[in-house]
Amino acid sequence: MTQFDRDVQLDLHRRMVRIRLFEEAAGQLDEAAKLPGFLHLYVGQEAVASGVCAALTDDDQITSNHRGHGHLVAKGGQFNQMMAELMGKSTGYCKGKGGSMHISSLDVGMLGANGIVGAGSTIAVGAGFANKYRNNGHVSATFFGDGASNIGALHEAANMAAALQLPTLFICENNEYGEFTPRDQTMAITDIVDRAAGYGIPGVIVDGMDVVAVHEAAVEAVDRARRGDGPSLIEAKTYRFYNHHGVQNLGLKYRTDDEVEQWKQRDPIFTYEDRLIAADTATRDDVDAVWEELRADIAAAIEFAESSPAPEADQLLVDVYTSTDTAGVAR
Amino acid sequence: MPSDVSTVGVIVNPHAGKDVRRLTSGASHVPDATKIGIVRRVIAGAVEAGAQRILLGADRSGLALQAASGLDAPTAALDGPLTSSHLDSVTAAREMWKEDADVVVVLGGDGTCRDVAAGWPNAPMIPISTGTNNVFPCAVDGTSAGVAAGLVATQAVACGDVAIEAKRLVVSVDDTDADTTATESALVDVALVDARFVGARAVTDPRTIVWVVAAIAEPTATGLAAIAGRVEPVGRNEPGGVVVRTGAGGRRVRVPLAPGTFTTLGIESVETLAASTPVVLPGGGMLAFDGERTKAVSASASISVSIEPSGPQVIDVDRTLAIAAAQSRFDVTEVADGH
Repeated sequence: MTQFDRDVQLDLHRRMVRIRLFEEAAGQLDEAAKLPGFLHLYVGQEAVASGVCAALTDDDQITSNHRGHGHLVAKGGQFNQMMAELMGKSTGYCKGKGGSMHISSLDVGMLGANGIVGAGSTIAVGAGFANKYRNNGHVSATFFGDGASNIGALHEAANMAAALQLPTLFICENNEYGEFTPRDQTMAITDIVDRAAGYGIPGVIVDGMDVVAVHEAAVEAVDRARRGDGPSLIEAKTYRFYNHHGVQNLGLKYRTDDEVEQWKQRDPIFTYEDRLIAADTATRDDVDAVWEELRADIAAAIEFAESSPAPEADQLLVDVYTSTDTAGVAR
Repeated sequence: MPSDVSTVGVIVNPHAGKDVRRLTSGASHVPDATKIGIVRRVIAGAVEAGAQRILLGADRSGLALQAASGLDAPTAALDGPLTSSHLDSVTAAREMWKEDADVVVVLGGDGTCRDVAAGWPNAPMIPISTGTNNVFPCAVDGTSAGVAAGLVATQAVACGDVAIEAKRLVVSVDDTDADTTATESALVDVALVDARFVGARAVTDPRTIVWVVAAIAEPTATGLAAIAGRVEPVGRNEPGGVVVRTGAGGRRVRVPLAPGTFTTLGIESVETLAASTPVVLPGGGMLAFDGERTKAVSASASISVSIEPSGPQVIDVDRTLAIAAAQSRFDVTEVADGH
């Protein structure tokens, strides 16, 4: 695929701007100590979630990791419920009891962020199995990082998906650091995609700062999966602009300012806007209008979340355990 | 000019053989371990043939360094500002030229060879296929490639006796509206495609192909060059090339646009292109060099392509080793390991 319609080109842009604005707002709220718990920002990696999720429908499922807001936004998550969840309010996606790292929305096929590194992959394989078993033509995709690629669960998931030829995409967002540790200190290979052959599935590298490149690969991988040709691995080379968690985090100097700055020069949104304008898809005013419109939505979402009530104490165990009948069968 | 110290350069492109065509075609994935193994054999072969210095180009994955690790060989690593992009191969080639390398062994596909030629246009080169279509490089084992490189570097076999000057497509984009002129080059083919974005780079959608100018139009090729090669073959060692305009109403040809993947293309016109004679194409679209979307061209620009006999000097590995054997250069006086 080398040609996408104008509406697809603009949709990719809008998805990325939605993520950026949500994450920048979340970062500011975190700095102002208005969010409970940890916050892992997706800023810099927007092209990956947007390029992949634009190739999926609401009926397709994704699983995510600790850095999961971007995935949910890209999959169609609503700002109000997301912001409320981050603030721990009862109007949030998980009624305020999940927070950043467990945010999910089954309505749009987001089966959950996940605080356990690598764990989302096994859930996506389960969804892939269900899709194949039901023969419903749906596809699942799991987002994970370079660090998670070294976790046992990831290998089990990839192996099972390959063995059963499940319609499951493995999307590795290689941002070069597992928390604060450079990739080359934790693995002897540079490209995670080199492992694809070991599972018996195709693997490709794409520029994770180029949303069109990601989307082209995702469309092909989704087509393969829907045809029944099984899973594939896409390794997107990307970078997170903020720290492992929060904006400034602990102030650890594990990356040089120069390195961060070089990646920021390749900002996935700003570089794409330049290309959209050069391709006569949009004018500068058009792209600016998207930011303005969505900024208003974010402001409304913050107000919605702040004015929403916290969960009542009697809700503490609701939705935590599956209720069972006397025979122990889930109802 | 050859240096006093016989020098073989090695440039590895870690990106080669890993792009989106592993999803869209039957192209093989070429993992780093394979590339490292080839480089180890190149080094062993070059040292066996007497090369005194092996220069390792800098690559973002450090593959050449990993290959040389633990080897008893006179290797030296070149520094370079790494960008994790195709520019790293360009830089490495330029550094090899500065260091007076006698011959450069290149691991990559057509795009990598193009990058090396951009850094050192007439480099004496042994290109080894680790890419996707691999029209320009050859499928040769690193061992023999290394021996050939060593034989040429030590002047045991004269470079002039075994090197063939490859062709080069010189592309000039003249945009009078923007008041810009840009010059690019390619080694296999230049295509104008109806696309707005570089995206995943490879040209995988046959509907987007508008013009193809091929310098290596061989019927055995895969990729864009195969379109020209299957209707009007012009070999790599013949002058000039072929210009194809796609479209309905003319011949329809089955073409392997990528390894293991065939498609039917309509051909509106086919013309041979004499050497050093420019063909002018209309602007509008994206230029793909050696199979990779690279440069957007506005509708107001005009594109001039000519095929010049000024590409890299490609060393014929078979011929190099045959000459060496005929001269008994593999004979020694030491006690034999076997009889």
